[in-house]
Amino acid sequence: MKSEKSLILSKFSASRGNKGVIAAAVLVYLFLYLPLAVVVIFSFNDSRLNAEWVGFTLDWYHKLFNNRDMLQAAGNSVLIACISALMASVLGTLAGMAIHRFRQKWLSALVLGPVAMPDILIGVSLLLMFMLLNVTLGTVSIILAHVSFCIGFVALAVQARMAGMDDSLIEAARDLGASPWQSFRLITLPLLLPGIIAGGLMAFTLSIDDFVITFFTAGVGSSTLPLEIYSMVKIAVTPEVNAVSTLLMLLTLVLILAISRISPQALRN
Amino acid sequence: MKKFVCCFALTLCQFLAPQLAAAEKVLHLFNWNDYIADDTVAGFEAACQCKLVQDYYSSTEEMMAKLLAGGGDYDVVIPTQNAVEALIKQGFLMPLDKSKLSNIGNMASGFLNKAYDPDNIYSLPYAFTTTLLGYNETKLNELGLKADDWALIFDPAVLSKIKGKVTVMDDSEELLAAAMLYLGYSINDTDEKHLKEAQQVIIKAKPYWAAFNSSSYIKELTVGNIWVAHGYSSDMFQARADAMDAGRAFSVNFALPKQGAVLALDNMVIPKKARNPELALQFINFMMEPKNAAELTNVIGTGNPNAAATEYILPEIKSISAIFPDAELQAKLDTLAARTAKQRRFQGRLWTEIKVR
Amino acid sequence: MSRALPKLSAKTLLSLPPAAYLFLLFALPSLMMLFASFRYPGEYGGLAPWYYLEEGSLSFDLTLENWLRLFESDIYLGLLIKSLFIALLTTAICALMAYPVALTIARARKGRRELLLLLVILPFWSNFLVRIYAWMIIFSPQGAMTIAINELRALFDLAPISLMFSNVAVITCLVYVHLPFMILPLYANLEKHDPRLLDAAQDLGASRSQRFWLITWPQALPGLFAGAVLVFIPSLGIFAIPDLLGGTDGIMIGNVIKQQFVESRDWPFGSVLSLVLTGFTLLLIGLAAHFGRARGSEGKA
Repeated sequence: MKSEKSLILSKFSASRGNKGVIAAAVLVYLFLYLPLAVVVIFSFNDSRLNAEWVGFTLDWYHKLFNNRDMLQAAGNSVLIACISALMASVLGTLAGMAIHRFRQKWLSALVLGPVAMPDILIGVSLLLMFMLLNVTLGTVSIILAHVSFCIGFVALAVQARMAGMDDSLIEAARDLGASPWQSFRLITLPLLLPGIIAGGLMAFTLSIDDFVITFFTAGVGSSTLPLEIYSMVKIAVTPEVNAVSTLLMLLTLVLILAISRISPQALRN
Repeated sequence: MKKFVCCFALTLCQFLAPQLAAAEKVLHLFNWNDYIADDTVAGFEAACQCKLVQDYYSSTEEMMAKLLAGGGDYDVVIPTQNAVEALIKQGFLMPLDKSKLSNIGNMASGFLNKAYDPDNIYSLPYAFTTTLLGYNETKLNELGLKADDWALIFDPAVLSKIKGKVTVMDDSEELLAAAMLYLGYSINDTDEKHLKEAQQVIIKAKPYWAAFNSSSYIKELTVGNIWVAHGYSSDMFQARADAMDAGRAFSVNFALPKQGAVLALDNMVIPKKARNPELALQFINFMMEPKNAAELTNVIGTGNPNAAATEYILPEIKSISAIFPDAELQAKLDTLAARTAKQRRFQGRLWTEIKVR
Repeated sequence: MSRALPKLSAKTLLSLPPAAYLFLLFALPSLMMLFASFRYPGEYGGLAPWYYLEEGSLSFDLTLENWLRLFESDIYLGLLIKSLFIALLTTAICALMAYPVALTIARARKGRRELLLLLVILPFWSNFLVRIYAWMIIFSPQGAMTIAINELRALFDLAPISLMFSNVAVITCLVYVHLPFMILPLYANLEKHDPRLLDAAQDLGASRSQRFWLITWPQALPGLFAGAVLVFIPSLGIFAIPDLLGGTDGIMIGNVIKQQFVESRDWPFGSVLSLVLTGFTLLLIGLAAHFGRARGSEGKA
């Protein structure tokens, strides 16, 4: 059934061609990668400023590898982003399904609230709250805070996926005697997966790049990459930041490609 | 996808492992990034047999907000003088035990016993900057303009020659203070009428400016996009050095306006909640040793309140009068006082109006 | 087991965990800030005490002043409208740019989709500041783009312009920063569309635009709506981009809110502005969803 569908899909894109759409997509990808090219190029620039090309150097990478704080902060950031994205994906999927199935407007407002609330207010209010509850600030408090503003992104993506989805499959499964859990795991979840992945990716992105909320909820000695970087503004944001960004993306890309080489199944889930 | 996430998490654990291993004496410093020389950190860690861990903030005000909300048990914080005043008045700071601070005699008397902390009960100076005008020397010479006057960024007659090539700080206190100096008032004058005059000066000059910018003017000056920038002396020092390194066809310089300027004095303080006040005192004393105090100036070009450090400061920095002002210039520098809630509200309102009009 | 019981528990099972989480880590802190909006700012920052105990008698120190301040001048309303306009423009441009990408990914071969998706999001794993600095280099007056535009303008006897510190720069970056949040939900929605429907429509003689408006558009609407919400809301409150790239008139409502918390240390008024912005945004989205649904069901009937 699935292979038949993808066969039709490939036939579709080949036959209709729709070269206009693909050309437009390529242009948008170029738009997305134009600044990235600058980021990468300037990580090799022999000047402390991210301003203009002076000459080629590997100094920034050298400096980066000697900068334990920055590397540790990068590790911290990725760890926090992974856990936050995972937690937000679970809670966001539940929320998205609840909103779609039961039309709970209050839940919808609760989920979107943190998206709509200015960062700084979330940061300050969470800090006041953590202080009130005597929560020790640290990696855990950062993750708790990140999840709260990421849930909405996942929930919305899941909702968009569910809209107009055929409920008859689930009902058929139920009629055939599947338990609610079985029908969820075997039918609903696979159907929702593209929405969950999209939402999870957004959550990861938001978490790894957040400064304001992290600043207020971070504890003594629990630095993340954005905290390291934003605090450079007084002196200068050096190309070391370009270097760490480049490495982070390279690492991700290599990992992904390696995994997809080894087992195409892993990517497809 | 799931497998990928797991792989990633595993790689990370290796990153995190060393963090868990260390269980020695630790000094937690809350500071700007790169606001202490690497050698100084290494020197202190060797001297105290401990570890110095820094957390960073990107503006004094953010740091204040975090402390005021009750977050962060740091041993030493480096706030600017008006933040020191506010922190003292909120009862956040611990009095310094002077018997443990043998190097206090090295400090220049002109930077001690200031109004924000009489007798330096809670704070000792770390470094200072002035807020002044950085400029493209070549362009300004061509146009026959002088940079030692606030008129350069406030007088429309002068501005018309450099329209769109000027940035001013995106900071209500700094910009209003500059306009007050231009009008001949004190920077700590809180008379609402005078402040409104300053607001009008800013609104009239605004159409000639390219932007309110506090973060990228060093780059813009160095590249030549901007000819005049209102900003900190240490930044202008960087811009000048960078323009030289890049071999530009023009030179960047900076000058203190003759009407006077804002002096920002960063201080070392110990919060009441500090976990390790003994180590904190040791750090403050260490930073007052002449060689250590000089290192920061040599690396990033801040002014230095340590009199004994002067002999260790590079001569090319020592000779810059905008960083080390002579007595006459220094008399015209003033520090911003902490504002009360009512005054902050009024200034905030003026600022929003400036930004909107 | 009766059929009603599992349905009820499914409802709780689904909505309780996220609701409880958000209640504790969003609603409760927000209520604290709502309360803070009736308090006075502390003399040197933070909040002033809201009650006093003097000689055994309790007195409260709360005020409506912060809320009334909103109406004493039209600048806040004006800024809100301006920000609204910019956010709408950003959302529209994002939608136009996201559609072909989402469609291409949805139509790609199965194994390739994840890679294409990842390529959309990958640039956003570099740091925000360096990405914006990269745009500053691109917009620089000495940059190739500005020079090319000005050469072109010179042909038509137009004065040279500067892209740096302009609204063009601000909107370009707003679009850039928010684009993935439009592409991803749109993809999640488009991926499930059955291309056979389009084939069938063509076989029945529907024209290209008919096929789009009658089949693709109504199907894509939920995805588009989700994306629009995720682009519109954050771009409404953003302050970093106008700060870094905007000219002297680049300010948005987010900048004023940040100013209250940071420079003015006026948390109560900052809370008022934030709550107004949040309430207003949620209301707007609620209305859009309501009318969208009404029209959607109309279409179906």
